[in-house]
This record gives sequence, C-alpha cells and structure tokens, in this order.
Amino acid sequence: MNRKILMTTLLLLIIIPGMTTAFTYNSKEFKHIIGQLDMQGHADHELSTCSVKKIYYDEVVEMLNGGKTEPEIIQSYVDEYGQAALRTPGGGTSGWIAWGMPAAGVGIGSVIVGVWLRKLTVKKAESKLETKAAWNSEVEKEIAAKTFDEERRKLF
Amino acid sequence: MYLIGNISIYLGIVISLYGIIANIVGIKKKSSKWIESARGAVLSLAFVASIASFLLLYLLGTSQFQYKYVASYTNESLPMAYKLTAFWAGNAGSLLLWAFLLALYAAMVVFSKEKKNPMMPYVSSILMVNILFFFTVMALNANPFEMTDKIPADGKGLNPMLQNPGMILHPVTLYMGYVGLAVPFAFGIAALILKRMDSEWIKLTRRWTLLAWLLLTLGNVIGGWWAYLELGWGGYWAWDPVENASFLPWLTVSAFLHSVMIQERKNMLKTWNVSLIILSYILTLFGTFLVRSGILTSVHAFGDSNLGTYFLVFMAFMMLFSLYVVMTRYGMIKKDSSPIESYFSKESSFLLNNLILVAAAFAVFWGTMYPLISETFTGTKVNVGAPYFDKVMAPILLVLIVLMGICPLIAWQKAVFEKFMKNMLWPLAMGVATAIILFAFGIKGIYAIIGLSAASFMFGTHLQEFARGISARRKATKESILKAAFKLTVKNQRRYGGYIVHIGIAVIAVGVISSHSYSTEVLKTVDAGNSIKTGDYSLRFNELTEHTKNGNGVVVADIDVTYKGKYIGKIKPEKIFYETWPEPSTEVAIKTNWSQDLYVVLSSWENKDKVTFMVKVNPFVSWIWMGGIIMVIGTAFALIGGRPTTFRYQINKGISRVGG
Repeated sequence: MNRKILMTTLLLLIIIPGMTTAFTYNSKEFKHIIGQLDMQGHADHELSTCSVKKIYYDEVVEMLNGGKTEPEIIQSYVDEYGQAALRTPGGGTSGWIAWGMPAAGVGIGSVIVGVWLRKLTVKKAESKLETKAAWNSEVEKEIAAKTFDEERRKLF
Repeated sequence: MYLIGNISIYLGIVISLYGIIANIVGIKKKSSKWIESARGAVLSLAFVASIASFLLLYLLGTSQFQYKYVASYTNESLPMAYKLTAFWAGNAGSLLLWAFLLALYAAMVVFSKEKKNPMMPYVSSILMVNILFFFTVMALNANPFEMTDKIPADGKGLNPMLQNPGMILHPVTLYMGYVGLAVPFAFGIAALILKRMDSEWIKLTRRWTLLAWLLLTLGNVIGGWWAYLELGWGGYWAWDPVENASFLPWLTVSAFLHSVMIQERKNMLKTWNVSLIILSYILTLFGTFLVRSGILTSVHAFGDSNLGTYFLVFMAFMMLFSLYVVMTRYGMIKKDSSPIESYFSKESSFLLNNLILVAAAFAVFWGTMYPLISETFTGTKVNVGAPYFDKVMAPILLVLIVLMGICPLIAWQKAVFEKFMKNMLWPLAMGVATAIILFAFGIKGIYAIIGLSAASFMFGTHLQEFARGISARRKATKESILKAAFKLTVKNQRRYGGYIVHIGIAVIAVGVISSHSYSTEVLKTVDAGNSIKTGDYSLRFNELTEHTKNGNGVVVADIDVTYKGKYIGKIKPEKIFYETWPEPSTEVAIKTNWSQDLYVVLSSWENKDKVTFMVKVNPFVSWIWMGGIIMVIGTAFALIGGRPTTFRYQINKGISRVGG
C-alpha cells in the first residue's frame, strides 16, 4: 500500500509539472505582450546587454506564470506608466488622433490630387480630335515608310 | 595646430560672409569682377574647410588628447581606421564634415561648365549662407579644435557599436546625400528669384539630385546593414526618429524625381516641383535638428547638446525665405503649362505616385513627431514605436508597389484601356501565380502574401518592359538578344536605369515583407554538448572560450550548425568587453544563404558550460542588401547617361501650335 502511494506520488510529481505549462521567453503569449511594451525606451535594445529589458522580461514571465492574462498585464503597466508604457498610442483622444491623422492625410491628399487632375485635364469636348492620315497614293505611303525606317535606324 | 584649426573656422565665417556680399554687389552693379571674386571666395572656402578637416584627421590619427574632441572619441588602442572615422562620431566633427562637403560641392558647382550662367551668383550665395551657418555654429557652440583643461593619459575611446565598417560609410554617404540636396534647392530658388520659370534649373540639377538620392539610398541601406550586424536585436530598421529623418527626404526626393519628368515633358507642376525640392532640403535640416536637439529619444542622437536651437532658427529662416520667394513668384510659375489630356495617362499616374510618396512622408513625419505633439496638446505621453509605423506604412507602401507595377504600362498623354489591360496580363499572371504558389506551400499570413504578390507583379511589369523593348529593337535591327538588350538600355539610360531601381525596390520589398512576417526567434539556455533546434537548423553548443584581442576581453561560443540534418559549418558569436566602455558589445554570428539568415547572439552565461543564446531565422534578409545594390546600380546607370527631355515639351508645343 505504502509502495503504491509512493509510486503514485512520484508519478504525479513527474507528470504535473509537464501538465502545467510554464511560460518562458519563447512562449507565444509572452512574445505578444512584450512586443507591445516600450520598456521605458529599451524595447529595441539587445536583451543580453540591457538590464532594464531583462527586468521587464522577467516580470512579464512571472505575471504570466502567476496566472495573469494579457489585458491584465498590459493594464498593470499602463496604470503604472500611463500610455507611455506602450509602444504604440492606445485608446483615448490621443490614440485616435495618432492613428487617424495619416489616413486623413491620404484622404485630403487624394481630394487635392483629384481636384488638381480635374483642373488640369482637358475636357473631352476641347480635346483635339485624332485625325487619321489618309494616303493620296501608294508612292507617298512608300516614301513615308522609308522615311520612318531611316529615322528608326538613326535612333537605334 | 590649435591656431590653424581655429583660424580656419573663423576664416570660413569671414570668407563666406565676403562671398555673399561680393555676389550681392556683383548682382546689383552687374559687375563680373565682383562675381569672379565671389567665385574665388567659394574656392577659398573649400580650401579652408579642407585644411580644417585634414587637420582634425591628423589630430585624431596621432592621438592628440589635448584636444577635447580627440580625447572624447578615440583612445590609443583604437585601430587607425576608427581613429579617423571618429571624425564624424561626435557633434563638432560631423558639423565640420558637413561644412567640408558643402564647400566642396559649392566649389564644384561654381566652377562647372555652367559657371557663366546668370543663376550662378544666386546659387553660390545660397550655398554660402549654408556654409556660413555651419562655420558659425562650430565657432559658437561645437568647436572641434577646443582644448582640454588637463591632458588625459588616454582618450575615452569610440563607442564599440561604431567600430564597424558600416560606420565608415553610413554617416558619410548620408551626409553627402543631405548636402547634395542643397544644390538643387539653391538652383530652384535662384530660378525663382530670376523669374526663370522654364525647366532649366531642373536640367542643370538632374545629376545633383540623382546623386543625392543615390547617396541617401546607399546611406539608409548601409545603416540598416550596420544595425543588423552590430546592434544584436535581429532587425535592420527600428523606425527610430533619426532613421525616419533620413527616410523623409528620400521619400520627397523620390517624388521629385518622378514629377520633374512631367515638367520636362509638359512644362507642368512647376510650383509643385519647387515646393518638393524646398521641402526635401528643409527635411535634411529637420533631420539634423532632430539629431542635435535631443528632443526625441534616439539611438543616433548626440547627447547634451543645445545645437537644436541653432538648427531650428536656421531651418525657420530658410523656410520663410523660400516661402517668400515662392509666394512672390507664384503667379508666374502658374503660367505657360500645358494641360493633361486624359485622366488615364502616365501624367496622372505620376501624380498618384507623388501623392503616395508624399503621404508616406507625412505619415512618417507625423509618427515621428507625435509623441511631442501629444504631450504638448493633450498632455498625454505616448510612444510611437515600430509597430505603429509597420501598421500605418504597410498599406501605403503596398499601394506604392502596385502603382510601380502599373505606371510603366500606361502611355503618356492618353492611354487606351484595352491595350493597357493587354499589357497587364503577364505581370498580373505572375502576381497571381506567386499568390497561388505561396498558398500551395502552406505559407500563412494573407497580408504578407498580398505584399509578396504585389512585388512579384511589379517585378513582372519591369521584366516585360525590358522584354518588349528588346523584342522591338530586334525586329528593327536584327541584333542578337544580348546586343539588343545592351543597346536598348544604353540608348535609354534614364528610363531603364529607373526600371532597374524599381526592380531593386521589388527585391527589397520581398526581403522586408518576408523577414517581417516569417522571422522566428528562440531564446534558450543550453549545456555544453547539447543542441538548440529551430526550424530546419540544429545548433550544437560545444564550448565557451576566452581570449584577448586588441587589449579587449573576448568571450566566444563555439557552435556546430546542421541544416536539414547536414553539417554546414561552425559559427562563433562573441561578446567583447572593452576597457573604455561599460557595456560589452555583441558580435553576432550570421550564416547566410539566398533564402534565409541564421542569426545567433551570445546572450549570457552562468558558467562556461551553461550558456544562453538568442537564435533567429530571418528569411530573405540578404535580398534587402541585394536590392539596395541593384538600386544603386540602376541610379548610377541613370546618372551617367540620359539626356534631359525638355525638347519634348518644345516639340509638343510646336505640334499643338501647328495643329491649333
């Protein structure tokens, strides 16, 4: 009996850690969260030589392993540092302006170019009618063909 | 030495002031003597700037630590190449480099075959105003020949990150690009002042503008390459404020290079072209202001500098001056332009391409400045990092790539839709085939697939254009394919040089999209004898060893790499510990093949048998460098050949007169 209990305990000790997935730096969830954090301007630094980045990495892994979800982790940093905790502008007026302005720029630019094009483009009624040249004779046609040929040779 | 250095800087101020005054007097009095004298002043400036520059190089090379600049950026053990490249490692040296390049360019301009051109006095004055500014700033705020209070036994040394071949070229090429834009700017303003509203200034500056653009391209690509090799985070472009500042003029000059074609052919967009070149020039000052002011956090910024104020004032002055000149001539610029014949024409497509390029520039500018804007106007501190730019720029650049695929197929003046669709067939098929192949191979990520297909379509368009040109030529001349290809490109260097540049951009696009979307990263701690597996690679860590190199401690990891089970060699990532620098520097180990890079960083170690590595597999990164080379080749090709197309406008005008 004791042997059975001991064996079961040992088996559980081996299996349970395998069943609970511990988050690491390589976890998808971790990468997704860390990719959103500015880490006080250290986000693009190399991990091995940046102590600040290392602290952030360890904190996020710890929070993930502590059962916190992604929004909770992100929020905890926003609570501490404000919007500056994130690499991109978040919600609120400031965020809307940040994301909306390039689109507005493209939109306004398109309208300006559209109006400009309309102004610059000759209306169909005013455009010259393309007239097709009619040859008076075969000789004339041949002379023209030869001239074109000579010109082509010169160009090439 | 101290005297010569300082005298050369003050002489720079005096001579440039004299040159400007001599030009003004010469213009007012219509005196060629004064103009000649001003030209001599430009030559003297180049001479004085050269003396100052070579003197600083000498001081750096011979480790004269009694000079602050030498002591701040070099030390005894630094290799000679890096002692010399410390010239542009700090504020004062880089300003001197700028002044030197500007003076050299100015001398080349005023002694060119156009030296008798009436625009020249104005051009040289504008360039000398720029030179005057740089010499003044050096004299007042950043003197490279300032002495130390106490001579140190050794200097502080150069930042290890700057001890890389990329750093020899990256700043110089960028500076040459920046400085080069001052020339077309000066010509543009000179043309406006003289009320010469034709395209002459564009003709005269075509090569200068192309050269500046070429150098900006080269500078940005080399910068990316350096970041990839040296910074150890596995990327090449971080959308850092200063990186953006160098990208902005590149975008606006790209727009300018396209829109001048319309002015050359149709005498249109004169206001727009002048505005674009002014904007490009102002953006070079803006970039420099960003670096020197420290108002935004950047890996490139020079710390503790109040130079930003000087640049801000100068930038505002130049902007107001340019604006005044444009406004007073606006009515004249608008005259004498011919209309566009159809919405569906190359002219319209160029306008669209300009819209996209300028919109891209606006988006980059906006994102760069937004942290400042947000804090000032809403009181909210925000960051605008790489993910923002990736999201915002991706659709804009995608449209640009698609446009680059479409534009070459559209005819000038009036395109026929049926013919256009017929021409689109093969490139479109190529794009669709790419998408199908990617799907078939199980490649995920719809946006990346769209981007890669667009790049393929764009590549297909240009391939077809080459093929059609060769085929038409062969029909007319019965030449061999090779001869026809050679003759075709040589006879139309501007056009085909541009096409080669476009192909380079397509290649870069493949590299950027792939490496952004399909890069993998593993951070793992291994014991000696154990392996890290990532993708098709297996890396067996053998041992960690230490040795000394150039007086610095080096820790090296020895790794055997196998790819798909086949041994492909060793890699040795390093950490170098410099005596003069608090942080160790990372030497990345990279194994490159045509389709991917294995990128390994020695991250940390508990002992010599337990080491942590960062292993990345970056697909198609080498394509970015290859694309950069192709772009440079294409630009050089268009630069050395090609004739201006102004005569076409004259012909068109003649025809319309005859017809009308």
